[in-house]
Amino acid sequence: MNPSDATREVLWNISNSWIMYALLLPTLLIAGNGILLRIKRWKKGRPVDRLDRPLERLQNVWRHAVLQRRTMRNRYAGIFHAFIFWGFITLTLATTVVFLHHDFGWQIMQGRFYLYFQSLFVDLLGLLALIGVGMAAWRRAFLQPRFLVQSSEATWILVLAFIILGTGFLLEGWRIAATDDPWGNWSPVGSLIATFSIHWMSVETMQFFHWGVWWFHLLLVFGFIAWAPYTKMLHPLTATLNIYAANLKPIGASLKTIDFESEESFGINRLDHFTWKDLMDLDACTECGRCTAVCPAATAGKSLSPRDIILDLREKSRISNKRETTFSDPIIGTAPSLSTESLWQCTSCAACVESCPVSIEQFPKIIDMRRFQVMEEAVFPEPMQQALASIESRGHPFSGSRFSRLDWTEGLNIPEIKDRPDAEVLVWTGCGGSLVERNQKSSRALTKILDRAGISYAILGREEKCTGDPARRMGNEFLFQELAKQNIQTFEKYKVKTVVTSCAHCFNTFRNEYPEQGGQFEVFHHSEYLKRLLDQGKLPMKSSSDRKITLHDPCYLSRHNHMTEDARSLLQQTSSQPLIELERNRQNSFCCGGGGGLSFTEEPSEQRVNRQRADEILKTDVDTVAVACPFCTTMLEDGINACKGSRDIKVKELSELILESLETEE
Amino acid sequence: MKLLVCIKQILDPEIPVRDFSIDREKLEADSANANQVTNIFCENALETALQLRDSVGESSITVICFGRESAEDSLRKALAMKADEACLVMNDLNHTPDSATTAHVLASAIESLGSFDLIFTGRESGDWGNGQTGAYLAEELKVPYLPFVDDIKQTDKGFEVRRQTESGWERYGIPASSVVTITNSDHNLPRIPKTRDIMMSHRKTITRVSFEDLKIRKDELNPQSDSVRPVKLFVPEKESACEFIEGENLNAKIDQLADKIMEIRSTL
Amino acid sequence: MSETSGNGSDILCVLSSNEWDRSAEGLVGAGRLLSDKTGGKLIAVTLGEWQDSALKQLGARCHQVRVGQTQVSVSGGIESMLDYLVKLAEEIQPASILFGNGTVEEEISPRLAFRLGGSSIGDAQALTISNNRIQVTRSVYGGKATAVMELQKSPAVVWIRSRAFPPAGPLPQSGSFETTVIQETSPESIELLQHHEDASEGVSLEEATMIVSGGRGLGGPEPFEDLKALAATIGAEMAASRAACDAGWVPHSWQVGQTGKKVTPELYLAVAMSGSSQHMMGITDARNIAAVNTDPDAPIFKHCRFGIVEDYRNVIGPLTEKLKSRKK
Ligand SMILES: Cc1cc2nc3c(=O)[nH]c(=O)nc-3n(C[C@H](O)[C@H](O)[C@H](O)COP(=O)(O)OP(=O)(O)OC[C@H]3O[C@@H](n4cnc5c(N)ncnc54)[C@H](O)[C@@H]3O)c2cc1C
Ligand code: SF4
Ligand code: SF4
Repeated sequence: MNPSDATREVLWNISNSWIMYALLLPTLLIAGNGILLRIKRWKKGRPVDRLDRPLERLQNVWRHAVLQRRTMRNRYAGIFHAFIFWGFITLTLATTVVFLHHDFGWQIMQGRFYLYFQSLFVDLLGLLALIGVGMAAWRRAFLQPRFLVQSSEATWILVLAFIILGTGFLLEGWRIAATDDPWGNWSPVGSLIATFSIHWMSVETMQFFHWGVWWFHLLLVFGFIAWAPYTKMLHPLTATLNIYAANLKPIGASLKTIDFESEESFGINRLDHFTWKDLMDLDACTECGRCTAVCPAATAGKSLSPRDIILDLREKSRISNKRETTFSDPIIGTAPSLSTESLWQCTSCAACVESCPVSIEQFPKIIDMRRFQVMEEAVFPEPMQQALASIESRGHPFSGSRFSRLDWTEGLNIPEIKDRPDAEVLVWTGCGGSLVERNQKSSRALTKILDRAGISYAILGREEKCTGDPARRMGNEFLFQELAKQNIQTFEKYKVKTVVTSCAHCFNTFRNEYPEQGGQFEVFHHSEYLKRLLDQGKLPMKSSSDRKITLHDPCYLSRHNHMTEDARSLLQQTSSQPLIELERNRQNSFCCGGGGGLSFTEEPSEQRVNRQRADEILKTDVDTVAVACPFCTTMLEDGINACKGSRDIKVKELSELILESLETEE
Repeated sequence: MKLLVCIKQILDPEIPVRDFSIDREKLEADSANANQVTNIFCENALETALQLRDSVGESSITVICFGRESAEDSLRKALAMKADEACLVMNDLNHTPDSATTAHVLASAIESLGSFDLIFTGRESGDWGNGQTGAYLAEELKVPYLPFVDDIKQTDKGFEVRRQTESGWERYGIPASSVVTITNSDHNLPRIPKTRDIMMSHRKTITRVSFEDLKIRKDELNPQSDSVRPVKLFVPEKESACEFIEGENLNAKIDQLADKIMEIRSTL
Repeated sequence: MSETSGNGSDILCVLSSNEWDRSAEGLVGAGRLLSDKTGGKLIAVTLGEWQDSALKQLGARCHQVRVGQTQVSVSGGIESMLDYLVKLAEEIQPASILFGNGTVEEEISPRLAFRLGGSSIGDAQALTISNNRIQVTRSVYGGKATAVMELQKSPAVVWIRSRAFPPAGPLPQSGSFETTVIQETSPESIELLQHHEDASEGVSLEEATMIVSGGRGLGGPEPFEDLKALAATIGAEMAASRAACDAGWVPHSWQVGQTGKKVTPELYLAVAMSGSSQHMMGITDARNIAAVNTDPDAPIFKHCRFGIVEDYRNVIGPLTEKLKSRKK
């Protein structure tokens, strides 16, 4: 036996194979129609440029569609998904090889290629796929993770996949046994079945069953191909497209800018006001539930579920195949996930976007719908009304604050920019940093550090106004743009080139949202800026404490801007103890509950996001929680104080910790 | 139906203590570091008028303000809340006139605008808190007056209104063309304007009226001619130290609290 | 003491509450303060039904008591009452007409001043005379500043925080009495249809010596029930911040502050309220303020004699129990 002669007979035991080719046509037509219907739906969306920079996009496809990095973040699901994915890809390739070999006469299915790939590899990968399907079924039936959607569609898909794979192996086994295939051992699973079958059946019976099961298998496969585009099983295609069309900017730059001069409706309350990418998102969703599993509002027991928002919107877009007006029908309030209550629970933490394996952008859609509620309907929760009204009339959201923007400078010699126009950097204190008493301490710490580093800086003082971050996230884009214009004017007046801020929200807005409004200046989060000073040797961090520190990554740095390491490098200098990581850290950090305008509302204590994070922190044995954003400071301090009992644990802002290790040097 | 709402722009009552200072010349708060906002009770008044219009339909609401240039913002906001017309009676005096003078000026302006079925003012303003302009206005116009109103319905004879009293409320029938002052209640919180209406409000014109237009001689208006004028204005000294009750546990703390309360009670 | 009348030195005190209570005492006390300075007569004007014993108290302290007997209710017959007061003032030509604090007084003062060509101001915490003019000290700008206002036209019609003024002792000679029946002179354009008293047992808030008050921090109407139980054990009245009233948790008549009631209790226990400057304006004359608040930096503590930094949920129940046992 010469391995180079190895091959097998195609369509063994099958006559009238033309029927297969005849069936292929309607199958492809039905499937194609399913795909076209979807494309037609996407085309109802508004234009958005998501096809630029093809190289980066292909890279994303490589990372997330092929290597499936994000899918892998969840071990169990990641593994079975890879098994099924690669299994089916391999089987499809193998079928293509047969097709080329038999129908095109390319004669490739032979020799070592036949043995190594077409037999051994395909057989093993098929087995993995079968295992994967089993794992998936096990999860669905017994593990039942909290945020998994239990749908009959999903069950049917698994059953079908199982039968297709199973019958495939049976066919192979019977063929090997019946033809006494000399190369049969190269297909381990097949030859195992062959060995078994020989004990049980005669060659004729095998031939008979082979014939029947072959047609059954074929019908199932064709049926599956035809049906898939109408189910979530189109996701290998839509997900790839979606990943290709993903937002290439930081998440922090993903909100759309409204042109108030030309737009006829502000915010979104109908499907066709979304972009085509938004609509493609709906079809790309695999229902995996990761977004909802990481959503702080959902895990706190509130009604918000980013996955359900996507699925309910998709449901609506599908109905609209039948009805013309559905794309223009109102959507807010038409499903529990789209209720106004749910929409106002989002902290804009972007955990959903970060976790989605197929690059769906959930929270920007929530903001789109909030915009409609605020700007078109003017109905939204009272505490948010108060915060927005306060921003409007006094330039900060802390209605009722008894502080002025200068109170925190009391007793320090902090120059205002009008008195020091040549200052190297402008320190932007922000509303949270100046008007909330707790944060005044950290604002003072930052200026003291800059003093020690010999930086010439100044503050804006009373001329500071809210950056507009809370307004934008609460849906008042109009107010945001007004504030941005005013602040940019102030910056221009003083020729500000460099801004340093300790507020992650202000930072994100400045860096990612002001450029579109005409802002031309450089902005640093203080963690970034202080790291630079450290590297330049300007921060003489002489002593370090023995604090057991953990870092709570602010969403607006870690996820919105993928900035996680500077704060860590700095913190390592402040303690002799190694930095302790929380279970959810860096991009997977968990929200403090303060974003998206939520820090201005009052919630029932058992539904507070900050308590969940506090519980997670209290599971570690740290004595210090480092934070790098004034909103995190107040939210976490509140949460920790509520949950810590008698434990001695403190929330400290990054600057406060750095200052400590600078000061002891004196 | 024609409704008129008098609104006032005042120094933001939420101004932080640090930013609050007194202009010793003019004897009023220094507005350099302060925002100007619409007096909340005037917004309650406007909201009440808007709700009345919503319930009867086919009515127009005019807002009028006697104030400085900056009061345009308050009028714009009223327009954004969907008032129909806005009128600014320009105050270019060197002082802030008292309630009687203000009412006199407003009355002349209102007469020049025509007649109204109901005139609203806030019950008082958050700056000087006199609470008199409405009453003076009714006297000037010689029309019936009812203060502390928080609810209005239209009837055949005029209006049925609810007035808050020290110990409850009363319902009154009042004729058309009365002056009512509006107080806050749980159903007249000012509405949030829609963005489109905010944008539209910037395109509307605000009628400006000067003293000359009203044939009021400016030189006759000065602090001495007012019936009431401030002679002193200062920031009072207070803030006593609070004794924070400490104790090893909550129970001990509450014990002390109870003791202190009983101590005071025993002196009665 | 000058006995002349009609020379613009007499002081009228208009008493519309028909009781000899702390408010009436303070009002007469304030009147005496002025009449001692002007050298004019102190004339009490009563409206409504007065008991003889109460009138006697007035008579002992005033040079004259003008009893106005009225059939119409005070708030229903404003026009006739105004006519009566105008006539009286034209006859007596007083330097000042003083009212106590109340919504009707607040309503009448400016209208009377207008009709008499005088001047008017309200919410007086102190009264002085300078250059023959009455000066009034009052809180302005939400309590952030204090102003002294001069009333430049006579008569000076002023409503005062009557409980803030010391009562006056009896005069050596009792005053004379004169009774007038107030006629319905002007047609009443305003018609009273319905009168409603909010359920409240005990004395009015203004009269209360102990007050338990709740704020937004209570989070809903239910916790007010617990506060009520607490108040009942020490015989206190209930009050609230505007935030709590606006939310609809309690009636608006409970509101204390710049735009609510001005109260003068011996103890004001503020539970879960921040102590905004507007609220504090209603309790500037409270003898003792105490607070329960989770926020040690809440401004309320700046005005407290004592306070406890704690969640009200952990305090109110046990405190009520302890106070109950202590009373026994
Ligand atoms: C012109 C004008 C007039 C006004 N007039 C008045 C007036 O007459 N009367 C008035 O009251 N207000 C008035 N206000 C409103 C005033 O400015 C404040 O908004 C209001 O007083 C706030 O009420 P609050 O203290 O109950 O609520 P907040 O200021 O919200 O305070 C709630 C407090 O409860 C505490 N808290 C929360 N949870 C708990 C808990 N579990 N246990 C203990 N403590 C807790 C918090 O720490 C906080 O300090 C006026 C405002 C304006 C502009
Ligand atoms: S942004 Fe955060 S809070 Fe909002 S839906 Fe996504 S995960 Fe939930
Ligand atoms: S939106 Fe993304 S993360 Fe959420 S269920 Fe769909 S695929 Fe999964």
